[in-house]
Amino acid sequence: MGEVDYSRAEYYHNRELSWIAFNNRVLGEARDEDQPLFERLKFLSITASNLDEFFMVRVASLKDLVNAGITKPDIAGLTPAEQLDKVNTATHEFVGMQYSTYNHSLLPLLSQNGLLVLEKHEELSESDCEFVDRYFQDYVYPVLTPMAVDSSRPFPLIRNKSLNLGALVSRKTNDSGRKHLFHKKVAQGRELEFATVQVPGGIPRIVVLPNAGDGTKRVILLEQVIERNMDKLFLNYDIECVFPFRIMRNADFSLSEDDTEDLLKEMEKQLKKRQWGQAIRLEVEDGIDKRLLDIIQKELAIDGRDIYNIPGPLDLTFLMKMYALPGFEALKTEQYTPQQIPELPTGVDIFEQIKKHDILLHHPYQTFTPVVDFIKQASRDKNVLAIKQTLYRVSGNSPIIAALAQAAENGKQVSVLVELKARFDEENNIGWAKMLEKAGCHVIYGLVGLKTHCKITLVVRREEEGIRRYVHLGTGNYNDATAKLYTDLGLLTCDEAIGEDATAVFNMLSGYSEPLGWNHLALAPLWLKDKFLYLIEREKDNAKNKRPAHIVAKMNSLCDPDIIKAFYEAAAEGVKIELIIRGICCLKTGVEGTNGNIEVRSIVGNFLEHARIFYFENAGSPELYMGSADMMPRNLERRVEILFPILNPELKEKVRHVLEVQLRDNIKAQFLKPDGTYAKTDKELVTKENACSAQEQFCREYRAEAAMQEKEIRQARVFKPEYKQG
Amino acid sequence: MAYRTFAAIDVGSYELAIKIFEISNGNGIKVTDHMRHRIELGTDSYFTGKISNERVDELCRILREFTDVMKSYKVDDYKAYGTSAIRETKNSAILLDQIKQRTGIKIEVISNSEQRFLDYKSVASKGQAFQDIIEKSTAFIDIGGGSIQLSLFDKDSLITTQNIRPGVLRMREELTNVSYRSYQLEGLVEEMVRDRFESFMNMFVGTKKIQNVILVDDYISTVLQNGVIKAGRKGYIAVSDFVDVVDTLKKKKTREIAEELNISEENITLLHLSALMVKYMLKELGAELLWAPGVSICDGMAYEYAEKAGLLTESDKFETHDFERDILACARDINRRYYSIERRTREREVISLTIFDHMKNTQGFSKRDRLLLQLAAILSECGRYISLANVGASAYNIIMATEIIGLSHFEREIVANVVKYMTDNFEYNEILGRTTTLDRDAYLKIAKLTAIIRLSEGIDIDHKGKCDRMKLDDNGDNMVITLETNADMTMELGLFSKYASFFEEVFNIKPVLKQKNSNL
Repeated sequence: MGEVDYSRAEYYHNRELSWIAFNNRVLGEARDEDQPLFERLKFLSITASNLDEFFMVRVASLKDLVNAGITKPDIAGLTPAEQLDKVNTATHEFVGMQYSTYNHSLLPLLSQNGLLVLEKHEELSESDCEFVDRYFQDYVYPVLTPMAVDSSRPFPLIRNKSLNLGALVSRKTNDSGRKHLFHKKVAQGRELEFATVQVPGGIPRIVVLPNAGDGTKRVILLEQVIERNMDKLFLNYDIECVFPFRIMRNADFSLSEDDTEDLLKEMEKQLKKRQWGQAIRLEVEDGIDKRLLDIIQKELAIDGRDIYNIPGPLDLTFLMKMYALPGFEALKTEQYTPQQIPELPTGVDIFEQIKKHDILLHHPYQTFTPVVDFIKQASRDKNVLAIKQTLYRVSGNSPIIAALAQAAENGKQVSVLVELKARFDEENNIGWAKMLEKAGCHVIYGLVGLKTHCKITLVVRREEEGIRRYVHLGTGNYNDATAKLYTDLGLLTCDEAIGEDATAVFNMLSGYSEPLGWNHLALAPLWLKDKFLYLIEREKDNAKNKRPAHIVAKMNSLCDPDIIKAFYEAAAEGVKIELIIRGICCLKTGVEGTNGNIEVRSIVGNFLEHARIFYFENAGSPELYMGSADMMPRNLERRVEILFPILNPELKEKVRHVLEVQLRDNIKAQFLKPDGTYAKTDKELVTKENACSAQEQFCREYRAEAAMQEKEIRQARVFKPEYKQG
Repeated sequence: MAYRTFAAIDVGSYELAIKIFEISNGNGIKVTDHMRHRIELGTDSYFTGKISNERVDELCRILREFTDVMKSYKVDDYKAYGTSAIRETKNSAILLDQIKQRTGIKIEVISNSEQRFLDYKSVASKGQAFQDIIEKSTAFIDIGGGSIQLSLFDKDSLITTQNIRPGVLRMREELTNVSYRSYQLEGLVEEMVRDRFESFMNMFVGTKKIQNVILVDDYISTVLQNGVIKAGRKGYIAVSDFVDVVDTLKKKKTREIAEELNISEENITLLHLSALMVKYMLKELGAELLWAPGVSICDGMAYEYAEKAGLLTESDKFETHDFERDILACARDINRRYYSIERRTREREVISLTIFDHMKNTQGFSKRDRLLLQLAAILSECGRYISLANVGASAYNIIMATEIIGLSHFEREIVANVVKYMTDNFEYNEILGRTTTLDRDAYLKIAKLTAIIRLSEGIDIDHKGKCDRMKLDDNGDNMVITLETNADMTMELGLFSKYASFFEEVFNIKPVLKQKNSNL
């Protein structure tokens, strides 16, 4: 067989369709009857918020390409228009599946389990009606802004992602029998106007109704309460019909950073504009009045195929709130408490511990607290000279930010790179940046043309032997909230060479020239891709020369064509390649010449798989790396990312174990088939002996480790009497 | 373990850099941080004689950031040196004052020879690696923005050093006025360097074989240090391999070179020019091995600081190169070039240093003063090459026009004045009137060293080595110089008072010359 040209389009999956396949896998969890019911609600909610983001960014960008007349095909050979067509079909199908799951599977089960969701306000009893009307009057009405459209009042701004009620209304005739001078529509002999009101985001979407005494919790959605009281909003009108609708706008904006003097101000300006982005998706309740739909469609200039008729409540993200309703704990997976890290018990001197040896952190199985404590301790330590950190996404009430601000107030030199361009966290980050600046930190807003996605903290400490640098490197954000849900790994080290590199990273991020060379770290966008290609190539050469060759790579997405091609070529030489990819994977399995050497699995579980780990056999001297980057062009070419090696043999073993357990997973893992679909291991092949759910196993292992440590501590408290010898 | 933190700031022609060092007796000199900011001060000053306001603003902004960095490391001390770009600015005094006001950082402008000496020291701080390479005949090429410093080593001593123009930044700016095709670039570079390099080769290298070349620059060194060119040991490359690399680069586009060599695109032009210059010089020198230790002037500054603060370890000291020996070797080489009679200068050196050593404690002379006197003695004859009648003035001009690496401009001026007034009338006003660098302390030093060297002249007027042994004794206000010799000392004894009068005037000590027959 001749050499295969692996750059051919037929060897690649389209990234958007692959993403939809991923969301389908999440939906699969919502449809999985083995899952506790409320976990299924959570997964369904996740699919909804995922889909929103997908529309605002990916579909929007495809539309931009089509509008710009761009016809350049992607790696899978599809033009933007072709992609948009396929995405459209797939998302319509997907939404159908979401609501089928909700209506036919989850709602009946909820009802059976004591949670009744009233779908329409017409289902309310008389006493319920009294309750919701009072609720409306007291809490909802004051915050509503009803808007009618006529020639003096233009079509209002419908905010991105907001849920709205649209209505057709007609003026009530007054005593003189004259109608309003201005009217919008005339239909069926009546003059109809368009009116709308936004369902307020600040009031809980789920309204819990008074207990009916049968032990069933009954809820109704806020839009139904408003719909029932619509006439109170438009007093001089008759309400012809009311239907909820929701739009999605293009949220993908590009900053011309070169011409921007103040990135922070420019970003604030652009964010305001996001509310005005082109409407790219309209969700309406199935059965909506055609006349009402026509008005909305025309005013928003939306294409017919971008309209989604929804057979149920719009915006299923409210299910996450439903998950949080008290009283249904038995229908949820038992909550896991992150365990203490053996080397870092509460109150320990973190610096002393790191000095002993490198420490690996595995979240959320292990607590994120030491990372926060690392900064807190540094902020108080009189020997600490400087703290430097990159922040991409942080939690709402971030203790890390508080510690950084405290450090600056304590006179430490604190430099923080707050990435203002972190999508959908722009507003939060602007707030953090301002707050940190006020506290006296030196704040960098990011780099022109690049997003700083790497997760690194450097603490410079003056010690007796000289300056020592303590570094935390991670695969996940410095976000104590998501660290309870995302699986990530982190490393605490004071290795001198890594410390030097970390210093160089921050110098580069501060605008200074790149260092003459790196000791251990590889950075994107300048060096990382080459490093990956080099490492893959090395495995290929080893395989060619009959030396041990094996790659295991775990990441969120794989779609860089150069890397995929390198994987194919390595596999063709005999390298065994095992990929653990949660999300998008443009690589195909079963490609000719690769001899079945590539296996791709995706794990979707209760925790969001987020770590990036890379194992290279290196002819029997394995190398392990971790980092912040996926193998995507955006990570490798347009972001600042860091890949760091695990050098300590003990930690290497631990990281290797993480990969091994994930590769053993036969419960949650789904395998990519040559046709692009994913399938779980055949249940018949899973026995009691070989059954493995990686996430569950890690929970067990870390619980056991913590228990063991606890036992050791308890035992250490026992006095040991000494007896006279002989 | 006690250590000190030192910051070295280099205000260079195209880069502003700060290096933070930790210096201790136990660990020697350790780099803690290194920050570089690209700013082409040289582009302004070389061609307009001034640094534009925008660049001054940028310079001050970065220096203020450096102040923060220094604070964050709690540095014990710092030095900030400005080199050719600041040196060649017409209004440098005003500029430096502005910078001091705006940033709090005091920049000292150093002469080319001081700058090169620091580069040299930074290479020498590599210890054994440096000693190993200079065991063979070695040339040292130090490429700066404005000029190139070429130095030669012979038997592990520096024997000559010359400064030639243009440097890489100056060359790039000059080439902007020339319209050429890319394939012509190598020829143009050679043309620009050849003129002066050929003279250097003729005067100092001749037929001698130069085996090794040490390179200090910002571009090639970066590439050789970052390991992208597989060239055996880090920083070393065989000249033939280097030539191959340069020839390959010529065929590539800027973007390709940047990617392959891991350096930013903006540096490619300067890298290319440096590479072509070095290639040409390597070819002409016939060298076999190129070593780019990847050091900067900041390393030299730290080394100097550690040396002065007594923080070098015993092993550091053991490995320390003897820089004074280099300075003296350079001076003797100048002597040879100007056909000085070595016997005469040797005699003068010995006698004047004997007097100096006798007086050093009472007069508070330093070791460096001794070196200056020794240099004056060595160079005392070089003026004769120009004029036998105006030896002093001629020697002054030669010394002032000749770089002696390791000697500051200030020190060189002291030496030149001592040599001049050894024979010329000592004019009080003339010295300070002719200089912008010397101060009253320097003037006094010149007077004292001149007095000593003049006195030595009176002890051995015809420089025939008449004296076997010389003994000095203080006797009240007199300094009795007893010469043990059986030679005829009639001339010396007769004319001694003429040579001693200035000494008496300066020190208020009356020298008395006595002869003791060495046979007795």
